[in-house]
This record gives sequence, C-alpha cells and structure tokens, in this order.
Amino acid sequence: MSGNRPLSGVRVLDFGLLTAGANTSAMLADLGADVIKIESGAYLDPFRVVGKPDDNDNWWNRSPQFRFTNRNKRGLALNLKDKDGQRVIRELAQRCDVVVENFRRGVLDRAGLGYNDLKAINPRIVFAAISSQGDTGPERMNVSFGSTLDATSGIAALTGYEGEEPRISGMDVNYPDQIVSLFATGMVITAVMEARRTGQGCFLDFSQREVASFTLGEEILAASADPAYRPARRGNRQDGVAQQDTYKCQDGRWIAVTLAAADPALESFCASHDSEAAVATLLAKGIAAARCNDGVDLLRDPTLAGVTLVRDDKGGLVKGLPYRLDGQGISIEHAAPDLGQHTEQVLRELLNYDDAALKRLADAGVTSTTPNVGEV
Amino acid sequence: MTASDTLPLQRFTIVEVNDRNVPLCLRLATSLAGKIAADLGATVLKIEPPGGDPVRRAAPLLPQGESALFQFLNTSKRSLVLDLAGSAGREALAKLLDTADAALFEEPASVAELVRGGKATPIEIAAFPVEMNAAHRPVSEFTILALGGLLHMVGEPERKPLRLGGHQASYAAGLTAFTGLTAALAARDGGHKAPAVRVSLAEVMQWVNWKAASGADASGTSPGREGKASEFQIVACKDGHVAVVYTATQWPQTRDLIADPRLKDPKFNTRAGRRQHVAEIYAILTPWFADKTRDEIGKTAQAKGVPFGPIFSPAELLDTEQYVTRGFLAKLGDYRLPQLPVQWNGRSFAPRPAPELGA
Repeated sequence: MSGNRPLSGVRVLDFGLLTAGANTSAMLADLGADVIKIESGAYLDPFRVVGKPDDNDNWWNRSPQFRFTNRNKRGLALNLKDKDGQRVIRELAQRCDVVVENFRRGVLDRAGLGYNDLKAINPRIVFAAISSQGDTGPERMNVSFGSTLDATSGIAALTGYEGEEPRISGMDVNYPDQIVSLFATGMVITAVMEARRTGQGCFLDFSQREVASFTLGEEILAASADPAYRPARRGNRQDGVAQQDTYKCQDGRWIAVTLAAADPALESFCASHDSEAAVATLLAKGIAAARCNDGVDLLRDPTLAGVTLVRDDKGGLVKGLPYRLDGQGISIEHAAPDLGQHTEQVLRELLNYDDAALKRLADAGVTSTTPNVGEV
Repeated sequence: MTASDTLPLQRFTIVEVNDRNVPLCLRLATSLAGKIAADLGATVLKIEPPGGDPVRRAAPLLPQGESALFQFLNTSKRSLVLDLAGSAGREALAKLLDTADAALFEEPASVAELVRGGKATPIEIAAFPVEMNAAHRPVSEFTILALGGLLHMVGEPERKPLRLGGHQASYAAGLTAFTGLTAALAARDGGHKAPAVRVSLAEVMQWVNWKAASGADASGTSPGREGKASEFQIVACKDGHVAVVYTATQWPQTRDLIADPRLKDPKFNTRAGRRQHVAEIYAILTPWFADKTRDEIGKTAQAKGVPFGPIFSPAELLDTEQYVTRGFLAKLGDYRLPQLPVQWNGRSFAPRPAPELGA
C-alpha cells in the first residue's frame, strides 16, 4: 500500500457490524487506513449470517453482503468476553488511532473496552460509537434495524402515494443505515487530524436516527417556525417543480421525469413509446428524464456504475467508492477476510506474539476461525 | 476539542463556488458539504452570483419569507457576491483560490476549469459519473433516484415507483463530499499532495443502493418494491402509523409481543414460511395496533427488544424526548433546527445563522 494516501499510517480497530459500523471502517480503509476487524467465534458480524447462501461447511465465509462491505480489511477473531481476549484487544488499541463500533450501548464498557478504558491506555484514540439513538438520553438502549429509523426520523412521514399511508425504504434498502458512514467517516477524519495536532483523541457519539433526521433539516426548521406547517405525502411531486412523476412506457418500464412546465400529454406520450426512446426524446428537449433502473440494470451498465462496484481478487462483486480521488476508484488488495484469517499475522506483526503465545490463545478458545454459535 | 472555544476545522479556509445556471440538486449537495465544514469551524466563503443563490428563494419558506432550505444549508458561512461572468469576478475568485485549502464547486459551472487548476484542492460535485460524459445533460434529484435504482425499491410492485421524502440524493452526495473534503484536508495536513475529489449524485445513489446490485448479482433477479408482500409493513394504530420491523432472529420476541396463539403455527417458524404467509401474519398483527398509541407501541416493543418504528412527522420530532434530552435541535433565533448529528466529547456544534447576501 503506498504511503502517501490521505490516511496512510492510520490504524483502525474495527468492531463495526452490518453496514453502519463496518462501512465506516471500510471507507477509512479506502483512504489508506490499516483496518483490523475484530469479531469472535461467539459473535460474528451478523452480515455473515443473514447473507449466508446455505448451511454448508464454511458458510460463515461466503455471505455476499459481508463480502461487499469488508473488503480491504484484515480480520481477527478474539473473544471479547474472555479476559485474555480483552487483554489482547487492549494491547492492540495501544497501537491504533481509531476505534469504530456499533454495538448496543454498554457492550464494550462491560468488556473493559469502552472509551474511558481505552483512553487511559491511549489518549490519542478517536473512538467512534455509532448507535441507533446515541450514547445518551432515555432511548439510548433502544434497538433498531434499518427501516425502524425511516419511521422514527421523519423520512417515512414524507414518503408515500398521494394522501395514503407513510412508506419505508424497506429491508432491501434500509436507507438510514446506508448514509451514516458517509458522514461518520468525515467526522472520524476530522478527529484524527485534531488528535495529530493536539495529541488528544475524543469520543464521537453518532445517533443514526439523528443522521436520518438531519437530512430533513429544512422540514424540521420550517415546522418549528410555523406549527401549521404540515407537509403531506404527495407521491413524487415536489415543491417548486411544475410536474414530476414516474410514467409507464410501452415496453412496461417506468421512467422518471421532472418538468419545469406542466405537460398534460406526457403520460400518453410515455405510454406510446419505449422507455429508451422516451428518455432520449425528453433529454433532447432539455427535460430531465431517466429510466427507473433495477439491480440488474445497474450491473449491466458499467458507465453508470462508475467506481461504485468492483471485483475482488476472488472475482466477487464488492462495494467500490461513493466518490473518486484523482479520478480513480479503488483496487481491492484483499477480499473480505475469512473469520479470524489474520489473527496470527496481526498479533505477530503488531504485538510480537510468538508461536507459544498464539497456541495458548487458540487452545483456550480466545482465538478461532470457526463460529461456536449457530445463530446471532 | 482541547479547549471549549476551539473548533476542529477552524484553521481551514474553504471556498464554496455557487455559479449561475447550475442544477439545483447539485447546489444543494455542495451547500450541505460546506455547511458541515462551517459548523465544524472552517471559514467557508460562499461565492454567490449577483441576486444570490437561487436556494434563497426555495421552499419550504419561513413565515417572514426566507427560505428554510437556504437557512439550513448555509449556517455558519460567510457570503461574498462575485459576478463570475466577468473578468473581475473571475480574478477575484482566482485570488481566493490561491489562499484557500479547498474549493467546493459544481461540474457544469462556467468556472469549473479555473477551480480545478487552482491551488485550493478541488472538490467537485457532478450529476453523473465521468464515464457518462454528460456534464450538461438535464438532471433533477428525482431522475438521479431513478438512475441509482432507489425509485425501483419503494412502493407497491404494481404501482408507480416512489421517491423517498426530503432531498435524499442531494444530501447523501453532500455528506459524501464532506467526507471527501476531510480526506483532502487530512492529506494536506499530513504533508501529502491532496487528491482532487469528484462526487456524482448518481454514483452516490448507486453506492447507497448496493443491496440491489448485490442481490441481483447473487440471484440474477433484482430486489424491488414489495409493498404488501414485504415482511416490513406499515400498520395503522390509534394515533398514527407504525413500521413493523424485526430481524429473523427477533421473530420469537415479536410473536410473544403480539401474543396471539395463531402466530405459534409452525408454518411461521422460518423466514421462508413467514414470507409465504405474510398476508396472514398481517391479518393477525393489525388488530393489536388499533387500540394503542405510537408511544405505547414503541415502548412495549422496545421492552421486548423488538425494533418497531413509530412514525413521526418533522413537527413531532421537535418534541421528541430523546432529541430534547440530547439537545439535538439547536436554537436559531426563534426557531429550531437539527445540529450536526454527532457529539464530540459530549459537545454539539451549534450552528450560526446563514449569512445575508454578501455578508
């Protein structure tokens, strides 16, 4: 890995799970950080489980969703509930700059691995805690899963067919989970800069619900100014836009069109043209139009995909970048790790563990490469 | 932060270039990235055309007629009017770029080449990937949602695809541009050459919608809007609606919460079985909600570890106990608005009001 990338020399201890946490660390890896992901045989990243294609041997290493989100990381399996596991993690934390975690509040504190524990041994540590509701407040222990936050953040209230019930993004999008890392990564980088300058790390407390509500900032502001302000669900219409909707074309495909001046003939125009021809005609008239792509369309069109999808060294499709740096995407230096794949490598490299020490940990079940629970 | 009066980005200066005739959806993304940096203490100089950023007139409006959208997106910034159509304006911009650390701008701007060549690291916001070669193609936030596959995911399968509420395409791109900006600043700070950053709304939406690509790659068929066939549905309750959400491992708790013996039928024990009989499950679940409030449902469900989501409107969020306790909503004059969704050693970043034109 070249030494002049934005986060070269930064090491991340990654307890991130699913998307919100694990993807924040993945974005740090994309910028050159050395990310070491900690799981354990007793607690896998749930993506290994929910995405497993079957129950055959080695199932825990074959989830496409895990593969998508954890490329370019090294993977360790260390039991957080074991005193020796906790000791090893504390030793690792002394050699790291950043911790990312999205456990339920209190889990790492109970293991002696919370911010105050780690700050005492490494004052430079930037500790990013990502949770459903944040680290404080009466709802701090609440659980949520993706679309729970569509509902509680306000997004669902503004989503829906005209005059009908609210809608959520659903389990195949889980929208609020996807946007947290886009913000959290920038905050971690900001805190790393500050830690370099001052020698002091910090505790960053992210509430995923707040991130989702933040995307409705102007709506919340408008509501605070005018108690009568009650934006309704209006399908695809939008303030300040003369006409905007999806229209079904002759080939059965839907297209999205935004018009600066209303055109009552648009619906019949679309119904009598194939989607490709309709979009081309509208664009040529200076009207914003696009086909409603699905996942298959996205895979077929590398021009549209830009740098967002990449193949890893095993040929698997994985997440690329949401932006490009100097015109480039990323190359995948290693595929998402198998459970515990790099435990020995990292403990030797960073902590100078020898064969005997590694064997003791393995024999005691502190390290592992297989799950010892079926479900998580 | 080491002292209460210092802010983490205060040693950086960022120029945010708002040229004329740039699509509004790009302008919103650029403005959000600049706003976050400004709230974190950076000096963010917003260049506006004579007459101002058109967002100053965009809905929703506050009672006195100012734009809530503009106020939210431009907190803590300074404003400078430059006519970038004229050489004097361009020279003034070039001078600012000589001393700034980074410059946020939009691909179709008339000054794009000037900004790309300046000493400030360019952070470029575009509609489409470079490969589409479509810098001047007509675009809206809505058509970006279509391209990125998000519209395909929301609504009923036999009805129109639906957009998500808010400015999700622009704002997700704005968050991305903020992270790109910090990466550039960190590189400069570490003595490296900072990379030029380019964010396109279409790529960000595709990236956000990665499960569609992952699902299509794994099975050959794209996930899509499932509406009433989905395991997660919206149910009416006494005072509104609740999103029924639970993971596969939370089914037993969900079943125990509703406590209807019919849910013990073994056909509901597997996820495949629940998907097959989803209409039946909802026929059983729905009456449980009818006589309970959102608040009761939220609390009872959380007590069992079930992540049901009561649906709140933006107005109701102003009184949400969790937000009030955490101080998430900052005072801005007589009004309130969300602060940056992070606390740094327990501190929030209070925004300062958006600038008057040229102030």
